[in-house]
Amino acid sequence: MFDLLVQALGTIVQWKYLLPLFLGTLAGIVGGALPGVTITMTIIVVLPFTFGLDPLQGLAAMTGVYVGGSAGGLVTACLLGIPGTPSAIATTFDGFPMARNGAPGRAVWLGVWSSFFGGLLGGLFLIVVTGPLAAIALEFGPWEYFSLFVLAMAMVAGLAEDSLIKGLISTAIGLLITVIGSDPITAVPRFTFGSELIAGGFPFLPVLIGIFAFAQILTDVEKLGAPKPAGAGGIAGATLSISHPKVIGEILSRPVLLLWSTLVGILIGVLPAIGGSAANMLAYDQARKFSRRPREFGTGIPEGIIASESSNNANVGGSLVTIMAFGIPGDAVTAVMLGAMTIHGIQSGPLFVSQHAALAYGIYASYILAHLLMVLILAVGALFMIRIASLRLSMLAPIVLVLCVIGAYALNNTMQSVYVLLLFGVVGYALVKAGFPLAPLILGLILGDQIELNLVRAIMTDADPWMFVTRPISGGLLACAVLSVGLALWQHRRHRRTMTAAAAEVDF
Amino acid sequence: MGKLLSTVFAVALATAITGTAAGQQYPDRPVKMIVPWAAGGDTDNIFRPFAVELQKHLGQPVVIANVAGASGTVGAREAKAAAPDGYTLYAVHDYIHLVHYAGITDVKYTDFDPICLVSATPSVLTASAKTPWKTWKEMAEDAKKRPGQITVGATLGSTSHIFPALIEKAAGIKFKYVSYDGLAPRMNALLGGHIDLTDSNLTQKGKVEAGLLRFLAIASEKRNPDMPDVPTLKELGMNIVFEVLRGVVVPKGTPAPVRAKLGDACAKAAKEPAFAQSMKLQGTTAAYLDAAAYAKFLDKIDGENKAIMTELGLIKK
Amino acid sequence: MRLGRDGIAGLILLGSSLALLGASFDLPSLPLVPVGPGFYPRIVLSVLAAASVVLVLQDIARAHAAAPAAPAGAARRVRVLVAGVFAVVGAYVFLMPLLGFRVATVLFVGGLQAALEWPRSTRQWTALAVVAVATSAVTYLVFERYLLVLLPRGRWTGF
Repeated sequence: MFDLLVQALGTIVQWKYLLPLFLGTLAGIVGGALPGVTITMTIIVVLPFTFGLDPLQGLAAMTGVYVGGSAGGLVTACLLGIPGTPSAIATTFDGFPMARNGAPGRAVWLGVWSSFFGGLLGGLFLIVVTGPLAAIALEFGPWEYFSLFVLAMAMVAGLAEDSLIKGLISTAIGLLITVIGSDPITAVPRFTFGSELIAGGFPFLPVLIGIFAFAQILTDVEKLGAPKPAGAGGIAGATLSISHPKVIGEILSRPVLLLWSTLVGILIGVLPAIGGSAANMLAYDQARKFSRRPREFGTGIPEGIIASESSNNANVGGSLVTIMAFGIPGDAVTAVMLGAMTIHGIQSGPLFVSQHAALAYGIYASYILAHLLMVLILAVGALFMIRIASLRLSMLAPIVLVLCVIGAYALNNTMQSVYVLLLFGVVGYALVKAGFPLAPLILGLILGDQIELNLVRAIMTDADPWMFVTRPISGGLLACAVLSVGLALWQHRRHRRTMTAAAAEVDF
Repeated sequence: MGKLLSTVFAVALATAITGTAAGQQYPDRPVKMIVPWAAGGDTDNIFRPFAVELQKHLGQPVVIANVAGASGTVGAREAKAAAPDGYTLYAVHDYIHLVHYAGITDVKYTDFDPICLVSATPSVLTASAKTPWKTWKEMAEDAKKRPGQITVGATLGSTSHIFPALIEKAAGIKFKYVSYDGLAPRMNALLGGHIDLTDSNLTQKGKVEAGLLRFLAIASEKRNPDMPDVPTLKELGMNIVFEVLRGVVVPKGTPAPVRAKLGDACAKAAKEPAFAQSMKLQGTTAAYLDAAAYAKFLDKIDGENKAIMTELGLIKK
Repeated sequence: MRLGRDGIAGLILLGSSLALLGASFDLPSLPLVPVGPGFYPRIVLSVLAAASVVLVLQDIARAHAAAPAAPAGAARRVRVLVAGVFAVVGAYVFLMPLLGFRVATVLFVGGLQAALEWPRSTRQWTALAVVAVATSAVTYLVFERYLLVLLPRGRWTGF
C-alpha cells in the first residue's frame, strides 16, 4: 500500500498531472473565496474541461477543486466576514472578529493550517479505510443499499431545513425526477407523455447543473437590485504576514480539538448526503460544547477557526471514501466527480480500488498534494482572492452560464441535455422561491435510480419483504433512519438556532 | 455593436463557404461515434480502443459519445435521426435485434447501412464462489432439485438474459432472474453472493484464478486456449454457441464514397495488432467482416434472434 | 380561509402527484418482474401526495397576516431582472443549434452583460464586446481544439 502511494505521488508530480491539479486547486480556492459561488458550482464549471483529459488528469483537477474550495472560503470569511462557501460559515464566527481585532494574518493562517492538518488527517483515513470498507461494501446486497439510501434521505430531510415536511417533499420531488423516462428494469416509458425529449429520462448532470447554476446565479442577481452588504471591503490593505511556527504551534497545542473536529468532518463526509456545510457547523458546535470557555466563542478565539476549518477539509477525505468504496456519491460535488468518472469509462464501486489501483492511488496522491498546493497558493495570493471576490457579477454570470451549457452539451453531444438544463433551471428557481430546500432534492436526484433498482432487485431475489429488517446490516441502517427522524423532530422542537444559520445561505 | 455583429456574420459566412468547399474531402472534421451504452461497459471498452485505431486511418479524431438509456434505444434513435454524412457512426451489437422484437423500440437494423463487423465476445456462464457448485453438472443437478430458485443476474431482454434462457431450455432447468444492467454491477453482486449465476466473459479471468468466481461453461465452438479447463456448452451436450458481435453502422443514405472510405479505415483498424491486443484484454477476438459480408451476417442473425425471442415468449405481437 | 405560499405549492404538488398516480396504473408490466414499472413511482407519489396534504394543512392552521403589499420598486426591478436572465438564456439555448456555438455565445455573453448592467460609456461597451468575443473564442479553442469536445454548429450558418 505504501509503495503504491509513493509511486502515485511520483506520477502526480509530473507536469502532465501537476498542472491540472494546480489549476483545479486554484479554481477551487477562487471559487471558494467568491461569495455566492459554491464548491459544487466550481466543479460544474471545471467539469467540461476534464472531458478531453485522461481520467487521472481529470480526477486530479476535480480533487484539487474540492480541496481548494473547502479552504478558499476561509479567506473571505476571515477578512470580509462573508462565508465564501457554506462550508466556511462557522469560520466567520471567530475568524472575522479576530481579524477585526487587529490580527487578520493570524485568523487567515490559523484557518489555512487547520485546513491543512485536518485535510491530511482526513487523507490518512481515506488511504487506510477505503480498502477495508470496500470489502465490507461487497457484502452489501440490494437490501443493505436500499436501507442505506433511506437512512441518507432521513438524515438530510431532517437536517437541512426548519420544516421537516418541506425537506420530505423536496426529497420526493428529486426521486420523482428520476422516475420520469424509461423504467430501469424493463425500459417501459413512464410519464413521458409520448415526448422524445424525455424518452430516455432526464440525464442527471444537466438536471443538477440546471438546478444549481440558476438557483445560485439568480439569487446573486437578485442581490444586484438590493443595496451592497455592509462590511464589504472589510479589512482592506491589511498585511497577513505572521510567524508560521507560532500559528502551527497554536493549532498543535490543541490536539484533542483538532482530532475531534477532524473526526466530525470525516464522519459527516462518509455519510452519504451531508456535505461540508453541515460538517463545519457541527464541529463548531461540538467545540463550543466541550470547551472550558464556551462563552468566548464568537469573540475571535482560535478554537472556533480550528474547529471549523479542520472539519471542512477532513470532510473532503470522508466523501472521497464513500465514492471510492461504495460507488455512491456523498454529496453533489462527489456526484459530479462520479459522473466524470463514468464519462471516462470508469465504474466506481467496491471493486474500484483493486481494479483501478493506479487511479485510486492517484486520487490519494492528488488529495495530499492539493493540500500543499493550497497552502502555497494562499501564501502567495490570499489578498488577491479578496480582489477577485469583488469581481462584477454581470461579467461573471454569463461566462459561468456558458460553461454550464458546454458541460451539459458535451455529456452526450446533444442539445437535449441543454434543454433539460434550462428546464430545471426554471424548476430549481421556482422551488427556491417557494421555500423548498434544495439539498434533499439533489440527494433524491442522486440516489433515485439506485433506490428503485435495489428495491426491485431485493424483491426479485426474494419475495420476503421482512428481509429488509431481518438482515443485520440492513435492519441496523433502517433503525438508524428511524432514530435520526425522531432526533430531528425532537431537536426542531427544542431549538432551531444552529441550523437555520446554515440554511440561510443557498446551501447545497 | 452593429459593426461588431456584421463583422461576426461576415466571418461566419466566409467560414460557411470554405466549409462546404472543404466538404468534398471527407472527413474534414472530427467524427462522432455513438455508443448506446454507458461508459465503462463492455461495449464501450471495445469501441474506445477501436476508435483510437480508426482515427489513425481516417485522419480525423473519432470522438465517442455515450448516449445511454432505455436498453440502448436512446442512442439508436439518435443515430437514426443523425445526418447521413459519415460524421455520425453508430456502434452496435446483437441487442439491436432483440430490443426491436421485444417491442421496446421501432428502430431496426435496416435503418442503417453496415460498415464492418469488429469483434466477437463469447459468453461464459459464471457462478459465485459462495455457491457450492464446482462444475456445470453440480449446478444442473441442484437446479433440477430447486426449480426457479437459483438467481441469475441479467439485463432483461438483452444478451445476458437470452444466453441463460437458452441454457434453461437446453438443460431443462428453471432460473430466477434479477435485473442487473451491465457487467460491472453483476460482478459486484456475484462476488458478494447476492446472485448465484450470471453471463460474463473472459475479462473476469483474473477473479476466477483468484478463486472469487467460477467459470462453469463457455459458449464458444472450441475451448479457449487461455482457459483450457472451462468446458464448452457443446461438450456438455447443449448445442449453444453464443457470442456477442459488435460492429459499426451509419445512418441509411450515407453516400457510397463516404462509406467506402470508412470501410477502408475500419478494415485497417480492425487488423491492427494493437487492437487485437486490447481485444484480448476484453476477452474478445477481433473479428473483421467487410460491409457486404456484415450485411449478410446481420440478416442471418436477425432471423435467429427473432426465433429465439419467439421461443422464449419475449416477443411483442 | 386564505392560502399562503406553502398552501398553494402544496395544492399544486398534490394535484400533480395524484394525476401521475392515476397514470401509473396504466403502465404495462412484464411477467418476468414481480413488481411492475408503476410499483416504485406509486410509493414516491403516495409519499409526495401525503406530504403535500400535511403542508396544506399546516398552512391553513397558520394564521396569515394581511396580504403582502404590492411589490415595491426594488422588488419589481428584481423580478424584471430575473425574467430577463431567463429570457436571454432561453434565447441562447434556442438559437445555438441555428447560429452555431460561436456566434450564439458572442451574442449571449454580450446580451446578458447588458441585461444585468447596462453599459454607460464607450469604454464599458468595449469591455462588454471584448468579454463576449473572448469568451466565445477561448472556450471554442480550448474545447474543440484541445479537449476534443465538439460544440454545436449552426444550421443556418454552418459555422
